Amino acid sequence: MLKIIIPTVMLIPLTWLSKSNMLWINSTMYSLMISMTCLPLMNQFCDNSLNLSMLFFSDSLSTPLLMLTTWLLPLMIIASQHHMAKEPPTRKKLYITMMILLQIFLIMTFSATELIMFYILFEATLVPTLIMITRWGGQTERLNAGIYFLFYTLAGSLPLLVALIYTQTTLGSLNLLLAQYWIDSSTHIWGNSLLWLAYMMAFMVKMPLYGLHLWLPKAHVEAPIAGSMVLAAILLKLGGYGMLRITMMLSPTINFMAYPFMMLSLWGMVMTSSICLRQTDLKSLIAYSSVSHMALVIMAILIQSPWSFMGATALMIAHGLTSSLLFCLANSNYERTHSRTMILARGLQMILPLMAAWWLLASLTNLALPPSINLIGELFVTVSMFSWSNFSIILLGINIIITALYTLYMLIMTQRGKYTYHIHNIKPSFTRENTLMSLHLVPLLLLMISPKIILGTTY
Amino acid sequence: KMSNPKYKPARLATLPPTLDPAEYDISPEARKAQAERLAIRSRLKREYLLQYNNPSRHGLIEDPALARWTFARTANVYPNFRPTPKNSLLGAVIGIGPLIFWYYVFKTDRDRKEKLIKEGKLDRRYNISY
Repeated sequence: MLKIIIPTVMLIPLTWLSKSNMLWINSTMYSLMISMTCLPLMNQFCDNSLNLSMLFFSDSLSTPLLMLTTWLLPLMIIASQHHMAKEPPTRKKLYITMMILLQIFLIMTFSATELIMFYILFEATLVPTLIMITRWGGQTERLNAGIYFLFYTLAGSLPLLVALIYTQTTLGSLNLLLAQYWIDSSTHIWGNSLLWLAYMMAFMVKMPLYGLHLWLPKAHVEAPIAGSMVLAAILLKLGGYGMLRITMMLSPTINFMAYPFMMLSLWGMVMTSSICLRQTDLKSLIAYSSVSHMALVIMAILIQSPWSFMGATALMIAHGLTSSLLFCLANSNYERTHSRTMILARGLQMILPLMAAWWLLASLTNLALPPSINLIGELFVTVSMFSWSNFSIILLGINIIITALYTLYMLIMTQRGKYTYHIHNIKPSFTRENTLMSLHLVPLLLLMISPKIILGTTY
Repeated sequence: KMSNPKYKPARLATLPPTLDPAEYDISPEARKAQAERLAIRSRLKREYLLQYNNPSRHGLIEDPALARWTFARTANVYPNFRPTPKNSLLGAVIGIGPLIFWYYVFKTDRDRKEKLIKEGKLDRRYNISY
């Protein structure tokens, strides 16, 4: 694992010591090389994990997420080139440093063995993200967005700290690999329920669960493009990853404690999809669609069946790539019209045909078209939810239909129709932007061939 | 409303106002309102055309009405909200009602399944993957 972390740390001196005209090239190239070094981690035993040291390990759940994280850093750097072009070099280097710092924390989080280290890094990822949102965001609402983001996540994760320390003192160790063998199935006392709640609230806020999701549209909309990408692709999955790890330790209490969260996720999924149909702001639409997809993941994790775990991990990876791609596309619109309103940039299919191709593919994967991995995730979750309770198919079916509706609405609004008259200086798509979109799509499409690597531990 | 059967609108040709008999008996207040609306429209169109045909324009033409509309829809909702009894009742019914409804649906369904399993009546053949 050090062979990934040390190069990522050394990216920071790389950015500060590069010449200004080599800055973006250097950081992009070396972060791409780091993502290549993450690939050999995939070569591991299928029924166990790759235990690399006392502190770090990687198993088939954390490896796809690690790959996603390392793949995303060069993409974030590529995406930020345009809106950072006019800043002085020091600020550019500071921005890239924030991204790299976030990357380091994320890599260590996904490969942590000790749960306390996981928690510390989980909290530490908030700081660079907050700096990126509040300092480099677009509108004045970014301050409000930063406050919502910070305090929701902090307040949710303080009980997690208490619960972790309590488990440390009672159980003796919080090593993730050992803890699965030491759980005691205690009886249903309300202290157990409180412990379960304390563990889960941090991840529920992060996912986000429907009732606690207020920070997400604000943070996603006000963040700069790299912030939006990393928020949608990785930081939400931190919550899912944490929940997947912790539910292995917490089994019996979950049967009746899960109901409120299941209800919130089921109904919230339908609600947030419906809100997407009424949005005028493009980034806000994609943010609410993220909430909807993550509600599926929450439900899958709460059911705790092997199929649903497979669906949850597949959905996390697929949604990370798709959502990040959609934010990049929205950003390419924003850079041309300087407004996030959807109706301002219409009929782009005539003007930017290649970008229209990326829009089409992004929309198709977002609505979980077969045989994309989005479909695999959603299908596994739907099937296991049906076995949980037959009536859930009603809400899940409604959600799938409404997902298709709003995705196609977004596609038609931005691409089809007659273009607006006064937008006569839409610059053609840069090669950089086309590279960015294709680099997002290539893993998404290639994973269709062998989805078993993203199906997680219960495959 | 056509009193004259000769001049009817067609599929690709709407009836022009000069052939519409309803146009000729409009009250003076309505005429004044029409003139005011026309004045606003032409002022806005003049501003738009001035910007559109300006050779040294390098960017987009921003529509301030659109900016106000999006601001009102997205960022300015809560300052204009005041909790009233009807408002709060509606929010509670629509926000919390469905959650409680679906909770009872799923709870009864799963309890019924659990009862059937405990009595051994549910078909639980062995599945290799579940």
